[in-house]
Amino acid sequence: MRPEGHLTPPPPTSSGLREFSEQTEVGGIFLQALMRRQLRLSLGVAAVFFAFLAAQPLLSTVWKPWTRWDLAGVPVTWVVLGVLSYPLLVWLGRHYVRRAEEVDEEFTDLLR
Amino acid sequence: MGPSVAAVLGLVAMALISILAGLFARRYSRTTSDFMVAARAVPPRVNAAAVSGEYLSAASFLGVAGLVMQFGYDVLWYPVGYAAGYLLLLLFVAGPLRRFGAYTIPDFAEGRFDSPRFRRLAVILVLVIGFFYALPQMKAAGLTVETASGLPYWVGVAVVAVVVVTAVTGGGMRGITLVQSLQFAAKIFAISLPAFLLLLHFGGPGTPFATARGQLVRLPARTTYRVTGGELWQLPRATSLDVEGEALVLWSREDPVRAPGAVTAEVGDTPAPASPVRGSKHLLLFGNQRIPAGTLVWGGKATVLVPKGQPAPFGSTTPAANTASWSAPFGPLAGGSGHPLLFTYSLILAIVLGTIGLPHILVRFYTNPDARAARRTALMVLVLLGAFYIWPPVFGALGRALDPSLYGNNLTDAVVLVLPSLLGGWLGQLLLAVVAAGAFAAFTSTLSGLLVSLAGALGHDVYGRWLRPAASAHRRRIAFQVAAVGAGALAAALGLMVGQFDISVLVGWAFAIAASSFFPLLVLGIWWPRLTTRAAALGVALGGGTATLAIVTTMVATLSPQVEDFLARASGLAVILAQPAIVTVPLAFAAMVLGSLLRPGPPPGVAAKLVQLHAPELLGLRSDYIPD
Repeated sequence: MRPEGHLTPPPPTSSGLREFSEQTEVGGIFLQALMRRQLRLSLGVAAVFFAFLAAQPLLSTVWKPWTRWDLAGVPVTWVVLGVLSYPLLVWLGRHYVRRAEEVDEEFTDLLR
Repeated sequence: MGPSVAAVLGLVAMALISILAGLFARRYSRTTSDFMVAARAVPPRVNAAAVSGEYLSAASFLGVAGLVMQFGYDVLWYPVGYAAGYLLLLLFVAGPLRRFGAYTIPDFAEGRFDSPRFRRLAVILVLVIGFFYALPQMKAAGLTVETASGLPYWVGVAVVAVVVVTAVTGGGMRGITLVQSLQFAAKIFAISLPAFLLLLHFGGPGTPFATARGQLVRLPARTTYRVTGGELWQLPRATSLDVEGEALVLWSREDPVRAPGAVTAEVGDTPAPASPVRGSKHLLLFGNQRIPAGTLVWGGKATVLVPKGQPAPFGSTTPAANTASWSAPFGPLAGGSGHPLLFTYSLILAIVLGTIGLPHILVRFYTNPDARAARRTALMVLVLLGAFYIWPPVFGALGRALDPSLYGNNLTDAVVLVLPSLLGGWLGQLLLAVVAAGAFAAFTSTLSGLLVSLAGALGHDVYGRWLRPAASAHRRRIAFQVAAVGAGALAAALGLMVGQFDISVLVGWAFAIAASSFFPLLVLGIWWPRLTTRAAALGVALGGGTATLAIVTTMVATLSPQVEDFLARASGLAVILAQPAIVTVPLAFAAMVLGSLLRPGPPPGVAAKLVQLHAPELLGLRSDYIPD
């Protein structure tokens, strides 16, 4: 059987990378910083979409008039939820992928 | 809707394409890695098409349109939530999970915590979720073939089982990746083209909203209904009925929306005919008569003609709502619960979170070469799902205006399969073949993904890791193939027995179990270093266990009148049991967090695991849990 779950790093090229791959205390701080940045980014993007979703039933409760607006014969509520949600999802997803790759790259530069 | 030659041709064509693609891919699948994770070489575009192909099941292709037709605006949360699940998957799971480099989710459970026992717990849940999800696909297969061709229910189940087992045993993950991406193309074509042409032909997207705003739907043509004894009709207004011969009915004035048992409290409940309520009386109908508004239960078989322009009668499964409340927020679905805002929020939560825990979807992210590709796959999935999910509500809304006879016949689930023929002539027949092919693609692609997941759990996790860790790669592949045949046969056998459960309800249950077990495990396992093995296992067992228990109770209630009576009196409990995610997801999280804080002590080597999950590939520290 092959060994599992072990890291087999190439000879580290810098002290930062060595600390990181060998999980020293300093490496742990590096890792924590990376995870925090990524998690903050993810939570921020998730919050924007959940706010968009949660706002709609709330608006329909406190301010009924918007449920009677029409756009080309279709209620605006249908267009916002059933159509606009999807471009918003894609836009947020694209924003996230770009930022997450930037964070990964900056972190790599830091350690190299 | 009668059997149609065009629809049968569509089904046969899609079955042949799927089998041929599966056989073609067989040539390229040799190693265990090919079978389990397509050699981890699937580029984002192809994988995104395969993920979308796998995800868009019968519930999405047929179910959403039917639910929109029944309940209107509130149902839009379903497609939006189904798509939004992938945003969360992208944000919290896709990249790190791929970096871990396992074959299955039980691999992750064992590897992240260094605990073989955790794998066994995870395997059980993979099997439970997989079978719960496979059953409604089998039911959809049986129903679609039955409606399209008039052949018995079991023929559809058997044909689909054969097609899927052929693809999975032949090419494993690598084979179905090709088949599923083809099937995605078939589905998006089959839903968008007919919907677009119907919109063009019948006067644009405003049609269903403009014709009778604030009023009840009226039949656009003289309609013939064939009713059977015990069938329930809601007449929202006085309606002229022309009965052939004579028929005995039980009529009551009680507002059908409030008559106990006359409407469903939840989507898909199987309703009992209204028990004789206050002020009910027997009427003998013959010839043309005007029946006052109310509920009526047919005493026996009858043929009923309802003239054009009369208010459409509603069957038992749909509340007879007027167009204003159908098209507005908090209509018959959310409004009926008494707490519309709360209901809507819990619905959103359950749908969005469920996606992230589905094991057969998660394993697809192991087929990408690296985390960057996994993230891009999830992003592409958002694009593809968005392009798809705009269309089912169009079908549902058009169905309300163009063929309201589906309400009285309780056939709203078939709206996608019925509407294209309204275009008439060769175009209608061609489109009928196209949607039938799309429906076939929907349940076969989801089933093949589930079968890879089930066969992986049995062949890889149970046989290869648990029973015979020393087995050769060749024997493991054989085990995978044997498991695929066995799981396919078992799913087909179970599929013959679930006729009375609603398709979207069964899928919802799989979502609820996944959301309460694997979702918290993945999110905390990836992002929280202090999570202990004991607490994680407790959370998975507690969340998954209570969700399963709640669902089984609901299933038993459907079959046993005593339990159903008890639940009917405790309506709050019944709602939670039928939609348990709102309680069981927080329960699983609480168990994991509290358990880890009260008895700290994360598993040894957690730092190495977190490096593996989060270190960017650019650092060159790369190592897959199962290197292949």
